[in-house]
Amino acid sequence: MTARNKLMRSSALTWALGYVLLGLAALGAFAVMLWYAWNVTIFSAREEILVDDAQRLAEVFSREGVAGLTARINERVALQIAAERALLLTDSHYSRLAGNLAAWPPDVPAQQQGNHAVTVDVPGQAAGMLLVHRTLPGGYHLLVGRDLALFLPLERRFAWGLATAMTFLCVVGVLGAILMRRQLLVRVQGIDATVSAIMQGDLHHRLPTRKSGDELDTLSQTLNGMLDHIEHLIAGISNVSNSIAHDLRTPLAELRSRLEELTLTRPPPAETFAEVDAAVSDVDRVMRIFNALLRLSEIDSGARRSGFVRVDAAAVAAKVVEFYEPAAEQKGVSFSFEADGAAAVAGDPVLLAQAVSNLIDNSLKSVSEHGAIRVRVGCRADGAIEIAVADNGPGIDDADKPKAAERFFRGDASRGTPGVGLGLSIVEAVAKLHGGVLQLLDNHPGLVAQMVLPVAAARAAP
Amino acid sequence: MKILVVEDNERVARFVMRGLRESGHTVDHAANGRDGLFLAASERFDVIVLDRMLPGNIDGLAIIEALRKAGNRTPILILSALDGVDERIRGLRSGGDDYLTKPFAFGELLARVDALSRRSGEGDAQRTLQVADLRMDVLSRRVTRGNRAITLQPREFKLLEYLMRHANQVVTRTMLLEAVWDYNFDPQTNVVDVHISKLRQKIELDSERPLVRTVRNAGYMLSDDDRQK
Repeated sequence: MTARNKLMRSSALTWALGYVLLGLAALGAFAVMLWYAWNVTIFSAREEILVDDAQRLAEVFSREGVAGLTARINERVALQIAAERALLLTDSHYSRLAGNLAAWPPDVPAQQQGNHAVTVDVPGQAAGMLLVHRTLPGGYHLLVGRDLALFLPLERRFAWGLATAMTFLCVVGVLGAILMRRQLLVRVQGIDATVSAIMQGDLHHRLPTRKSGDELDTLSQTLNGMLDHIEHLIAGISNVSNSIAHDLRTPLAELRSRLEELTLTRPPPAETFAEVDAAVSDVDRVMRIFNALLRLSEIDSGARRSGFVRVDAAAVAAKVVEFYEPAAEQKGVSFSFEADGAAAVAGDPVLLAQAVSNLIDNSLKSVSEHGAIRVRVGCRADGAIEIAVADNGPGIDDADKPKAAERFFRGDASRGTPGVGLGLSIVEAVAKLHGGVLQLLDNHPGLVAQMVLPVAAARAAP
Repeated sequence: MKILVVEDNERVARFVMRGLRESGHTVDHAANGRDGLFLAASERFDVIVLDRMLPGNIDGLAIIEALRKAGNRTPILILSALDGVDERIRGLRSGGDDYLTKPFAFGELLARVDALSRRSGEGDAQRTLQVADLRMDVLSRRVTRGNRAITLQPREFKLLEYLMRHANQVVTRTMLLEAVWDYNFDPQTNVVDVHISKLRQKIELDSERPLVRTVRNAGYMLSDDDRQK
């Protein structure tokens, strides 16, 4: 029952059947027209021949009289194949004088004068007959006719041909429809199964595609692209919620124990307020982590890409360097900046500034007094823009380098320094957002952290 | 100053109102959008502090749009739990004057409210600024203290100009970051403090009276007030 309902609802089948019906209708209309035209032409041609014949016999009558015509008719009847043609001459009372018809056919209207073409059934004849009736001077009547049996096989063949064509059309149409439906069904069911699996929660499935590049294939590819994007976003979200769950727990636990201890021990006011102040800065720390995580997810989502403009990376870096200069000076760190000309990238100036700021911040924290930090913006041979921050601090162990940009990773060297462990994650996310990468290299000693960004697409116009 | 606080969270509202009253302001309070819009439209306030998400069909942005459409130009500080650049832009585009994300330190709120009231008063058009004996000519970019000329780098000039335009007001580190550097992120090192101390070295010689005060838990204030706390 459901299978049948499904079959009835299948759009492919409905369309195909519709086209079969349309084909049948067109064929029928063509046959009717043909039949009509054929009938009219043949009948009028035959009628004309009969009228001519009657005219010739009438001329014989006017030249040679009744006797002459009777003789001519008898002569013709004797010569021809029996029953092929009808000839009859009667007097004014419709009594037979000559001819191969036994009597005046009862179906022929006797009263009418002149030429009349009528189709009548004549007893003793196999088929209907086309008869021409002519009244001769003196009240004589002449009938000239021809039977229609000759056309019967032709009509039969026509009907057969029509029936065969219609049957063929029906069979081929229905078969084609079923095949088309099956073909379509297989592919739609493939998509259906995949989407159902995805709805069950398994986002790894992808729609089946072929190389054909037809409409369904294009649709599948577009949907796959969408699924890739969704999977990426969901991974980002779950990553962030995992981080929040895991890494906000520690400072919140600290905060909680601090406050609980306060209510338990009830120390004197001075100490209480010192603890409350510490609690407020604990909350601030939680908020900083929270904000950094939110910003990370905002960057990861790619939503900021809509606000991209043409930025000079060198100018952005120069401003950040200028921003940090007093801090470096205060720590006694030598701080240098070099750039070989403008370096145009398509990007978000604030995010780029934040990334450079995070890198400089990291270096400032890691180098000892009288250390050195070098910031360099340059164009690489392959045209990519490179923003590098190099220091001569402790650097990062080779083993830790791949993990350094992971969220909340803190290397041994950074233990005890302020920070929440999200700085490099943000730098990496910003680089990725701009279509680039973050590379961590050895500076012997120290670290070179560099963002490699593709140049702005519109670089051709200087 | 007369300030309207439209905030549905009772605790936050109480905290903000107490702080503002202690700073010498008169404060009215509305706990939902309808009352807020009614109060804001019917009375004159110097500043409106407006929560963005409010109960009662009328949210913060709707209030701002209604007020602005009616020609009310009262400076509005939007409080919001919605962070993100887009949200900030949407809030400011609807007619708000400043945007502060929850949770916030009270010092930050107070400093921004003061800055807003000042903004509505005098414009940025003032060409010479003076605090005590410190003078700045904005056009010729000359800074003097008494008879002494002070040479400043461009960024230091911008920093001092901002402090002078907001003289006798607390300005927070975030406000300075936004106004002087256009940065809306939070550098982990105390970079702003270092810039201020460098500026101090230039405008306050040992023999001179200190002008820049550090306000605990808030930021800085450039002041000609003699009394040092």
